[in-house]
Amino acid sequence: METTMNPSPQTLPFKFHGKSGEYFRIWIVNVVLSILTLGIYSAWAKVRNKRYFYSNTELDGSTFEYLANPIAILKGRLLALGVFAVYSVTVWFIPLSEPVFVLAFIAGLPWLIVRAMTFNARNSAFRNIRFDFKSNYLEAAKVFIGIPLLVMLTLGLAYPYFAYRYRDFLINNSGFGTTGFDFDAQTKHFYLIYLKAFSALLLLGLLVAVALPALIPEVQSAGQLPNQELPVQGPQLVLMMLPFLVIFPVYMLIGTYIHTATLNTAFNHAYTTGQRFSSNLKVGKMFWIYLSNFVAVLLSLGLLIPWAKIRIARYRLENLALHTEDDLDGVIAGEQQRVKATGEELAEVLDIDLGF
Amino acid sequence: MGQTSTPEGGTDVSARYYDGRTSGATAVRLSFGRCGLVTLTGAAQSATYKLEELDISTRIGNTPRLIGLPDGGKCEVSDNDAIDRLLRKQAINRGGWLHALESHYLFVMLAIVVTLVSTTMTFKYGLPWLAERSARALPQSVDRSLGKGTLDILDRSLFSPTTLEPAIQARLSRRFAEMITTLPAGRDYRLLFRAGNRIGANALALPSGTIVMTDELVMASENDDELVAILAHEIGHLEHRHSIRMAMQSSAVALVIAAFSGDVVASSSLLVALPTVLIHSSYSQEFESEADDFAWHYLVDNSIPTGSFASILTRIGADGGDSVVSRYLSSHPGTQARIQRFIK
Repeated sequence: METTMNPSPQTLPFKFHGKSGEYFRIWIVNVVLSILTLGIYSAWAKVRNKRYFYSNTELDGSTFEYLANPIAILKGRLLALGVFAVYSVTVWFIPLSEPVFVLAFIAGLPWLIVRAMTFNARNSAFRNIRFDFKSNYLEAAKVFIGIPLLVMLTLGLAYPYFAYRYRDFLINNSGFGTTGFDFDAQTKHFYLIYLKAFSALLLLGLLVAVALPALIPEVQSAGQLPNQELPVQGPQLVLMMLPFLVIFPVYMLIGTYIHTATLNTAFNHAYTTGQRFSSNLKVGKMFWIYLSNFVAVLLSLGLLIPWAKIRIARYRLENLALHTEDDLDGVIAGEQQRVKATGEELAEVLDIDLGF
Repeated sequence: MGQTSTPEGGTDVSARYYDGRTSGATAVRLSFGRCGLVTLTGAAQSATYKLEELDISTRIGNTPRLIGLPDGGKCEVSDNDAIDRLLRKQAINRGGWLHALESHYLFVMLAIVVTLVSTTMTFKYGLPWLAERSARALPQSVDRSLGKGTLDILDRSLFSPTTLEPAIQARLSRRFAEMITTLPAGRDYRLLFRAGNRIGANALALPSGTIVMTDELVMASENDDELVAILAHEIGHLEHRHSIRMAMQSSAVALVIAAFSGDVVASSSLLVALPTVLIHSSYSQEFESEADDFAWHYLVDNSIPTGSFASILTRIGADGGDSVVSRYLSSHPGTQARIQRFIK
């Protein structure tokens, strides 16, 4: 039997083969067909999109597979739209009904999250073995209702704990075939991330506070000029733009740091028997990609979205690896079940980010 | 990946075989024969299937194809062209048309044009039309609920009580009441006076049907006709339901942009916010000219010189200093044209 034998132990890098030119053509055809069918095609577009990224991701000579049925996604989308329409119309006419909807939404959220994760996992496969996600309402309710309440009570101090429990929930409940993933990060890893971010914020805030007075006198005298001809003048314009020029980059930098450090921590502490991931993303590089993506997408009226998506996917995957003591042949398939798409689609319409 | 033509004119491709029970990968060869039979040969296995039993994934870019076998196994094949040739020969074209469209540069160009044009048209005409239609279907009580509390917030943060003489207030309120009688029945619009402070000479129409006129504006006027012209403009905003239409249009724009942009940047909310603000300001310009139309017709119908509107706009625009109105006026190139149409 001529199997692909891998000497053990070894490091298997993830590879990404997506090309922005090729993906642009797939993306624009998706967009135009979605427009021409008034959105109905968007379910097929979503599958085609995801298939492009999955199939271009290679590990140990094999690529990933996305298997969701577009019809299931379309049904989920229509249901989500229906729920949203009922909500909007009811709240327009009976504003007092809003709290009822909010409570119902909070109560339904754990269910939505479990459904979405399960749908996504069971429709993802590698070497003809599907991924899996196993959880229940109660467990999800603890993480997504219980801990957020704790975060509120502690005025945010418990947020890093939530960040930890969230990833723990995602990874510990995920599996590949019959093999489950485990997560050995600790709460302190996440507190460290937020502590660093908070210190950086303080430091940058201090810098701004020192640098700003240099601008202020000029601004004030300009504001007091009598009989201004032009209402908005140079220094005033600078003052108006200040939030964008200073606060936005700082916010984005700190956001990117938290995002990057969380991704690295999540992957570096995810493992199964004999296998372990490693993710080595750099904050500077991620910041540069996000910043240039932002500018490019804005200036190109969205036409560079495909290029931006390929760039970030490539960087993320090229810095991800699987360290394995043996080859990848030993995983046994689980029972293959179908799960309705409703969860994920509802979650998408309601803008819940279910990623890492 | 090796691909050869077999003597019988069939196709032979190398593949990786996954049995669907374990995650092992095996190198195999797939031979597609002339008579619709496919033979899978590996070091330790051999099987023959009918071509129509196979579930061949549609092509996406140049990614490997997965061929589902009837026994639950799958083969991963990198040689896309060989598979495509085979499917063409067998006249099987499931889903192949998508890849054909994506590979056709003329169609891709067309798709770009259609996307840009239809997005622009949707933002410029589609959403405003839809918002206007929906606003007409909704009772005005909805506008009220939208503007509930707005006056309280403005009173707390911006305005202070009026210092106008009660006689002036009464005179203007009478003019306002006269104006309301020309409108369809059931309009319970109110006129309130406030010291504008930071916003200077200004007038605002709140969705609740309340029009606020600042003391500074009253001071800046040379006669009541000028204030009537401003009031007519504000009533135009209310009659055309601009607040609720703006709310609907802006949220629709944000939804459309969010749907397109996805997760390309860390802060997609800002990516959504910036274009939304730009489109929002273009909508508000359109609403201004709609309200101007209303004012113009009101002035003409009631034999009030239309120049009143032009003169007060020019005056508060010229020495309003800090006011929002003047900032708005001076930053909009269309303002001169706006004023121009009221000067005969």
